[in-house]
Amino acid sequence: MPARRLLGLLFVAPALALVSALFLYPLALSIASALARPDGGIGLENFAKALELYSGDMVYTIFIVAASTVLIGLVAIAIAGYLTIGETPWLLTGLAWLYRWPLFVPFIVAAQCMRTFLAKNGLANNTLVASGLIDAADTVSLLDWRGVIITFVWKQAPFVTLLLAGAMAAIDRATIEAARNLGARRLRCLIEIVLPQVAPTLMVGLILSFVTMLSVLSVPMMVAGSQPTMLTVDMAFRINAYGDYPVANALGVISYLMTAVVAWIYLRQAMRERDT
Amino acid sequence: MRMYPIVLAAALGLCAAPASAQTLNVASAGDQNMVDYVRDYLGPLFEKTHPGVKVVAVGTGPGDAGSQKIYEKLAAEKAAGVPTWDFDVVVIHQKMAGQMVGEQLLAKYRDRIDTGRLVTRDTAANALGADVAGYVMPMFHSQTALAYNPDLIKDVPESYSALIDWVKRNPKKFGYNGIKGGMSGVAFVAGWVYAFGGGADQMMKGPYDTTTKAAWDKPLADLKDFNKSVVITPGNAGTLDMLNRGEIAIGPVWVDMFYTWMAEGKLPPNMRLKLIAPGMPGQPMYYATPAKAANGKLAEEFIAMATSPEVQAEGIVKRFNWYPGIDAKYLEGKLDQAAWQKLFADISPDELASKGEPFPIAPYFNDILEAYERKVAN
Repeated sequence: MPARRLLGLLFVAPALALVSALFLYPLALSIASALARPDGGIGLENFAKALELYSGDMVYTIFIVAASTVLIGLVAIAIAGYLTIGETPWLLTGLAWLYRWPLFVPFIVAAQCMRTFLAKNGLANNTLVASGLIDAADTVSLLDWRGVIITFVWKQAPFVTLLLAGAMAAIDRATIEAARNLGARRLRCLIEIVLPQVAPTLMVGLILSFVTMLSVLSVPMMVAGSQPTMLTVDMAFRINAYGDYPVANALGVISYLMTAVVAWIYLRQAMRERDT
Repeated sequence: MRMYPIVLAAALGLCAAPASAQTLNVASAGDQNMVDYVRDYLGPLFEKTHPGVKVVAVGTGPGDAGSQKIYEKLAAEKAAGVPTWDFDVVVIHQKMAGQMVGEQLLAKYRDRIDTGRLVTRDTAANALGADVAGYVMPMFHSQTALAYNPDLIKDVPESYSALIDWVKRNPKKFGYNGIKGGMSGVAFVAGWVYAFGGGADQMMKGPYDTTTKAAWDKPLADLKDFNKSVVITPGNAGTLDMLNRGEIAIGPVWVDMFYTWMAEGKLPPNMRLKLIAPGMPGQPMYYATPAKAANGKLAEEFIAMATSPEVQAEGIVKRFNWYPGIDAKYLEGKLDQAAWQKLFADISPDELASKGEPFPIAPYFNDILEAYERKVAN
């Protein structure tokens, strides 16, 4: 039915055009720029330079984003899990009301708040000192890799929790109740009954967070010093200090590859689930 | 039908707007204080003497990044063959000014305005090695220096070498922002290379020689070692924040930001400045007008007003704590002694002349940054 196929194509055309114009075209441009040599040829010099100068920052970036993703997963499971199988009404209401707040705070605002909150003589430490929990001499500044991870987790955990709590609310409660009736404790119930049923949703949430965090410039720039730093800061620096788009694009392509690995893991998992 | 008159009125309004009012677009690179200066001070002053003109101030972001954005917009408009360009006045850094003059993006206007002859500093003609004579007017001169808290530090180092010893005795009490977090850190590093790399004069005036950087291996290795005992702060503001909270005792800052923060109560009033030997860099910001500015004539009048002795005294020195862009001798009598002395309290005019250095010329500048990335931060 060529007419129907044409109609189908027509329906997807706007979406396809949008993806092509706003994603595929810039992607192709950035790969082309990353491979371009000053003399007009094609080569890997920009990647060599990116690796030479920023390999440490690449490892640092992966470490920060991976550690944040794991922590986000744990926090999200804890909150969403409690919202699903918790039994204390006031705690449930309070938690459900509170946990979403960071969703509405932009990264740059979160970073600015953390700058004064996590400093050596910042609000967090001052509160602990004033309440007598630690001594003023023992305070440490968290404005380094720890600060970046804390900011990321604070900002992204609610997003994953939102998805996860939705998925958990949708599963058949009979499975939870059956397990509870047979004497399973709540934690075991969460890990063995609830989590396996919502794992794909958790995965999607974590992958989206991973990709988002990889692209944030403000948090590593504002919260921590620049040695080492994340690739976004290096990209901005290549452009701002040297007007050097080729190496900045090479770093961009390397970031794409990092996300591609995650996407591949996710797709493989999805295919496996469909096959079984 | 009832909508008709409203639509008509709106359409008439749209047509009439450009005739009754002129808009002067001022794009400024730099920190927020630069935008504030145009929006809150220069703009209203200009509007008062030019009825019907509206000054719109746009900030393009701090550091060279801000100038880069202005450059990219003008270069794109030139490449597209647009007859008149959107910005009328641009405020840019030295590094980009040279490139913009080279690519014929700016108008040669200085000789056409009265205040053009009040400028004596060589930075008005030479921007990091590029000849910009006639195309720019210095808006102000800004200087870096070490800010310190006299309550926490008694033996204030007088030079880079004394600072190294001091840091050995007081680990993690000196802080700076590396090279990716703003220009105060970049200035500290450039000063380090001037102090220990040799050939500082050639780096400031040229000619460029690719082999010079071979002499930087030892100083940069020392800097890497030095960095182990210092705090790397998040940005220009990060250094000031940490000084304010007493987390570090000393660190490089921009003099104007230092005084502004102090005036706003964001730094303890007892903090002091020290310009260490052999010297630390400073830089002007430039007023320029694009080659095809829509309101070129008005832009020149705006710059003439902004570089007049009265405005330089009241706006640049008194309100915003910058050093004047025009020769300071023309400010005599326009400024009360208190304001003058405040600006030169810690750094005397002589010290400023002997230890205030320019940044290195553009190719050396890039070499220093990249050598730092390769040898120190890596």
